[in-house]
Amino acid sequence: MTATHASAGRVGSAGALAPASAGRRPPHTLLPLVAQRFRRDRVQLLAWVAGFALLAYVGNAAVVGTYGTEAQRVEVLKLIQSTPAVLMLRGTPQGPAADAFQFFLLFAFLGVLIGLMQTFLAVRHSRAEEESGRAELVGATPAGRSTPIVATVIEGIVLSLVIGLVSAAGYLAGGADAAGSWLAGAALAVTGIAFLGVGLFCAQLMRTSRGANGLAAAVVTVSYVLRGLGDATGTVHPDGVSMTASWPSWLSPIGWGQAVAPFSAGEQHGQRAWPLALGVLLGAGLVAVSLWMQAHRDVDSSVIPERPGRLHAPAGLAGPIGLAWRLQRNAVVGWMVAGALFGLLIGALGQTMVDLVQAGNGAADDLGSTLGNTLKSFAGPGAAGSFIDLFTAAMFSLVGIIAAVGAVQAMVRARQDEAAGTAEMVLATRITRLRWFASYLVLGALTAVLVLAVAVLGAIVGLTRSAGVGDRAAVAAQAGLAQLPAVLVLLAVVALVFAVLPRATVWLGWVVLILAIGIGQFGGLLGLPDAVRDASPFSHTPVVVSVPGAGAVDWSAAWVMLALAVAVSALAAVLVRRRDVALGG
Amino acid sequence: MSTVTDTPVGGIPVIETRGLQKHFGRVAALDGLDLSVARGEVHGFLGPNGAGKSTTIRVLLGLMRASGGSASVFGQDPWADAAALHARIAYVPGDVSLWPNLSGGEAIDLLTRLRGGDADKHAYAARREALVAAFQFDPSKKARTYSKGNRQKVALIAALATPAELYIFDEPTSGLDPLMEAVFREQIALQLGDGASVLLSSHILSEVEHLCDRVSIIRAGRTVESGTLAELRHLTRTEIAFAAVGEAGEVTPEQLARIPAAHGLVRDGGRVRFTADSDDMPRVLGALAELRVAGVTVNPPSLEELFLRHYGPDARADAEGETEEARR
Repeated sequence: MTATHASAGRVGSAGALAPASAGRRPPHTLLPLVAQRFRRDRVQLLAWVAGFALLAYVGNAAVVGTYGTEAQRVEVLKLIQSTPAVLMLRGTPQGPAADAFQFFLLFAFLGVLIGLMQTFLAVRHSRAEEESGRAELVGATPAGRSTPIVATVIEGIVLSLVIGLVSAAGYLAGGADAAGSWLAGAALAVTGIAFLGVGLFCAQLMRTSRGANGLAAAVVTVSYVLRGLGDATGTVHPDGVSMTASWPSWLSPIGWGQAVAPFSAGEQHGQRAWPLALGVLLGAGLVAVSLWMQAHRDVDSSVIPERPGRLHAPAGLAGPIGLAWRLQRNAVVGWMVAGALFGLLIGALGQTMVDLVQAGNGAADDLGSTLGNTLKSFAGPGAAGSFIDLFTAAMFSLVGIIAAVGAVQAMVRARQDEAAGTAEMVLATRITRLRWFASYLVLGALTAVLVLAVAVLGAIVGLTRSAGVGDRAAVAAQAGLAQLPAVLVLLAVVALVFAVLPRATVWLGWVVLILAIGIGQFGGLLGLPDAVRDASPFSHTPVVVSVPGAGAVDWSAAWVMLALAVAVSALAAVLVRRRDVALGG
Repeated sequence: MSTVTDTPVGGIPVIETRGLQKHFGRVAALDGLDLSVARGEVHGFLGPNGAGKSTTIRVLLGLMRASGGSASVFGQDPWADAAALHARIAYVPGDVSLWPNLSGGEAIDLLTRLRGGDADKHAYAARREALVAAFQFDPSKKARTYSKGNRQKVALIAALATPAELYIFDEPTSGLDPLMEAVFREQIALQLGDGASVLLSSHILSEVEHLCDRVSIIRAGRTVESGTLAELRHLTRTEIAFAAVGEAGEVTPEQLARIPAAHGLVRDGGRVRFTADSDDMPRVLGALAELRVAGVTVNPPSLEELFLRHYGPDARADAEGETEEARR
């Protein structure tokens, strides 16, 4: 014993009451937390990385396939320079080289994706953990309050770097300039790191993960819109194929990424690395602030407190429909805003395209026919007619996607309520199984109708400066209406899945939706065989534009689909009545 | 209560299951469960985790369909007539999940309206207010911020705020503190209308002893015991102890051996302990009087002992034996 005391040194002298760990270093808590994050997210992270790799590949293929020659790209860019709507969606052109063109087309979109990915990641491992109570478990260990944030930052940075690498590799594989490829990858990675900081900061501000995710997604959206405004109002260089964005773009992390201009051969500046520092600084600053706030606040507290709820339920919250509406109304309103804006864009952009094609020379005609063919593949087999009508009809197939997603979401909600156990409480009252099920179905159908209706209204507003507004508006209204039957069939099929395989509703519902959209809406573009395309309800959407004199629109397929939707829904209603209420798991 | 019932008092039981079975794939959650709850009765439903209590309740509510046997509520089929029956039933699940973006007050109102309980708006408002005060519940918070106990309060307040003929409580006080458990017992006594029946699934034996007229104990999806608490106590032994040194000096082993019907007699320091069947008590007490023992304590079996008897290490073998007998 004496020998042990002597060799133990400090511990021995501290006496018998010294805690067992007195001479020990604190346990290493960072690595286990980092490992836990990667393990928990492994499937999701792989999916994101694979998605970015696919986008890099598809982006390259699309540029080569659609705008193969530099002459074509020069013509397109010259047209686009004077089309603010396109600049707003895409970015500022940086010259006609294939790599620069691809960066111009895709970067803003990729910036939004990586921004959402990183903010969701940050909130998932901070505020959501706190809300669920798991953060308390971890916080009670030697890991304390800040190590979990550090672990999240490490996961986010590693993920950003991997996606940057994948993106750079995509450019390199497409034969892009090497230095530019690495810069483009770095720009994407740094955009992600900046939004990682945004996500962590939002998690400090809001009391709930839902609130934090909402705020962070709003920041990402505003970043996209700000750079859109700056890009749309930028100055065109004398070469006519490159631009410099104006000041609003400098307010946006996505704008900073674009400002790197990795493949720029523009006249005012070439590629430059220094804007990367802005993103790194923002990310680092927000992480530091978040760490400070986390260390100085109580667990479960937030800067912006949760609003108190109502003491009593409003009169409308009285039955299953009222409840379904209350649970889904924010989402429904969100889809309606998306639909209205998209409709407005369709109307406004259609006329701009017409102006461009009409004002153009030979190359513009080429563009017209290229675009026209693309549009026809969307508008449906045998579609023909004036350019602007074709454009409207084709774009409404994209509105159909928005409507379908909103509708399917309502049905998915039914399963989520069933899995969570709230459905059980409703079904233990005098509400029948049928009424409960029908409320989600009705809400889904209503969502689709509302989204399509506001999109038609938006398109009509956008079309007011076109010639023959009345006819144009009629086409828009028909194009919107034509989307509805396919959406309802899809909704009915997901309802059937819910009735027969309740536990598979969520994933199978989305898979059905994605397949239907993929082979129906994009099947023409992808050149899929007709037999495959016929499997999607969207392939049977009536074609509302045709050459004059070809007769009225053929609505027979719409009626068949409507009947099918009703029949499948009825079958689902019968089957849902016959199965057990299945809790989650 | 003004509700019309076609059931004469003491006639058809409010709940009746016979040989109820429910299979999930190859797993039998219920394996011949018998349960009978009479009108006006508070019936305790006991069993360890996984015994099938919640499954039984889901079958009784028509949320799940029985695989075999029969179940009836108010004489009707709970699967076919679910919604009609639910108008007469109030239900509190064991683990209440709420809609995260509704406040507690909204959830209470919603559940009441779904049950059609707000027809008399003033009566409902008064009852709701009384219950909110009794349970010290803050209805203005969003449900996602409530603890388990507070979520449980939402379901309890909603269930008790409207009169019902049958209350089904699935471990209603899980997550509540002892103070709130007491409030629950109090409110059950206050709010339950005349002739209302209760099926109370619980782990808290003191709660069951306090509230229930009859109990059913189930294990592995089967009823192993059912009856009034007095009847069940009758089946078990009373624990008796006295001081080893009495007025007549120390008791001798010969004297101890003369005590009739004593089971597991041990001398434990200064005390002698044994158990005796309830029927043998008069004889036992007579013998003790003859011995002139001092410091006698007599403990009737607690529900806990009843419970442990069925779930203790020997319970499985006993149960197997019982079913063997039943088959013969």
